[in-house]
This record gives sequence, C-alpha cells and structure tokens, in this order.
Amino acid sequence: MSAKHAVRTSIRATTIGFLVGTLSACVSAPPPPPQEQMSRTKVETAPADLQLLCADAAAKASGVDSTKILPVSSSKIDPQTYQVELDAGGKKTSCLVDTEGNVKSVQPA
Amino acid sequence: MNGKLMIAGRAILQRRSLTAIVAAAFGLVAVAALAAGTQVFDPKTRKWVDYDRTKARKYYAAHNEVPEAFRPQMVKFRTAEVPGTIIIDGNQHFLYLVQPGQRAMRYGIGVGREGFGWAGIVRVGRMAEWPTWTPPAEMIARDPNAVKHAGGMPGGPDNPLGARALYLYERDQDTIYRIHGTPEPWTIGLDVSSGCIRMRNDDITDLASRVKVGAKVIVLMQGAALYKGV
Repeated sequence: MSAKHAVRTSIRATTIGFLVGTLSACVSAPPPPPQEQMSRTKVETAPADLQLLCADAAAKASGVDSTKILPVSSSKIDPQTYQVELDAGGKKTSCLVDTEGNVKSVQPA
Repeated sequence: MNGKLMIAGRAILQRRSLTAIVAAAFGLVAVAALAAGTQVFDPKTRKWVDYDRTKARKYYAAHNEVPEAFRPQMVKFRTAEVPGTIIIDGNQHFLYLVQPGQRAMRYGIGVGREGFGWAGIVRVGRMAEWPTWTPPAEMIARDPNAVKHAGGMPGGPDNPLGARALYLYERDQDTIYRIHGTPEPWTIGLDVSSGCIRMRNDDITDLASRVKVGAKVIVLMQGAALYKGV
C-alpha cells in the first residue's frame, strides 16, 4: 500500500466517522412521554375529558338534558383535533374539539 | 343478583345476550368492545410495547406492581362535571374521580372483554366492604369449583370482588354492574371482565373512601368506532 493510498483511506475513514457521529446525534431516541401518558391504545380515541366537553357543548346547543347525551365513538383527525360522535337523546351529533379543550363545532351527524 | 356477570371467564352466548338484555332494560348501551390493544412505554428500551395478559402477569411477577401508567395519579381534567363524579374510560383503562380545579384522580382499571363492554350514565347506589360474591348459575353449571360458592362466597382476599364494591344503579334499580376490587391485580389495564370495572384493592378502597352514595358515574364507550346499540 502506497503512502498516498494510506492517506486517502485515513481521510475516508475520518469522514465516515464524522458523518456517523453527526447522524447518530441527530437520530437519538425521542424523549419518554410524561408520566401520565405512559400507556396508550393502538386505536387512538379522544381523551375522556374532551369527549365530555363535547357532550356538554352538545347539551347546551341542543337543549337536551346532559344526562341523555353520551359519546359513542371518537377518533383523532389531525394532531390537534378530535372528532367525537354523540348520541343526544337518540339524535346523532358530531363534535370537533381541539387538544386544548376548545369545542370547534357541534352539528348533526 | 349480587356478583352476577362480574367474573372473567369464557364468553358464552347466553351471557352476552343477558348482558345486552340487562343493558337494554336499564337504558344502557351494550357495545362490542374493540380489542383496542393496550400498549405501555418501556423506559428501558424506550419503546411502546404491547400489553396483553401474558405480559401483564410477567410484569406483575417481576415488579409486584402494575405499570406506572395504571397507578393512581392526579391529572389535568377539563370538565363541567362536578367534583365527586366518576368517569370511566374503558378504552384507555382509566377511571377518573373529578376533583376541584379541573383536575382528577386517575386509577387504572380492568374492563369488559370483547362483547361485554357497555356505556351509560348511572350512579353509585350503595357500597360494601369485602362483599359477598355469588357465582351466576351458568358458571356453577360449567365449573365444579364454583359449586361450593353457590350460596355465596364470603368476602376475603380470594373473593373476586375484592376489598370493596360500588354497586351501580340506574335510578333505583341495580344494573348488576359494579366497580370492585380484585384478587388479580395484574389484570388492570386489560379487557378481562364480564362488564364490571375492576381495580386494585388499595385503589378501590381509596376510591370508596372518596365517593358518596349517589355519585354520578359516566361510563364512556369502549372502542374507537365500533358501536352496537341495543
């Protein structure tokens, strides 16, 4: 092996090492979730409090007794918004609520 | 009636029908509980891992404790419900006891397995310490070991109802569903029961000490989208 080839190999190794080091620094494991979020389900539903905020909003909007309104299904439609389906005294109602608890809309499903 | 439909066992059609009939009779909604698939975060591997019956039992054997997520903790809870209200999120396996200041005490629970989920708004009709458990007739018919308890199993550490039972009523009538303790604490976080809500004995004792007879109980639907009203 010539001296020139040895230098080239050394430079290549140093470059690769630098790139690997940089990349590994970029792809470090994500931080763990907060203590209260250490479990989840594969099918993501709206948190219980958000479902009930929708039920409360639907009661106010429809005039139906809040004891007759129950969330029947929910799903995440984007990172900040959940859709909650409600049974309001037999009427199907759809509600959008954000992760901060702001009810965006309540309307017949 | 005490203790019927509360013991995890093999799902049989008659019991499903009975559950549905009872739920319908009380204006509750029986649902097909989706196997939503519980996952817990493993701090060692920093990965989400599936949490099933086998893993739950192993975890409890190794730690003598349920995973951190299912231990009691105070959490943020935005609600218009009054303090003292109980909210059950069977999908996430949490029971919330509403506290003042938009907060709630959260406990881990075990809930109805597939076909045994239900939803509705009920109330705590009464409470009992170390309640008697009476196996239902169909369990006695298929399980010779249950025969000896046909007249009622006295309360105690092996009793399936555990340390306390909160009997859930629809108006003035017993729904046959309960929130109760369990001698099988590793089942917290799983879909295992016949519709009752089970908690660790320490947790149900704590909950019972904080709630009053008459407290509102909201049982949310299990499953994300699958809904079978009756």
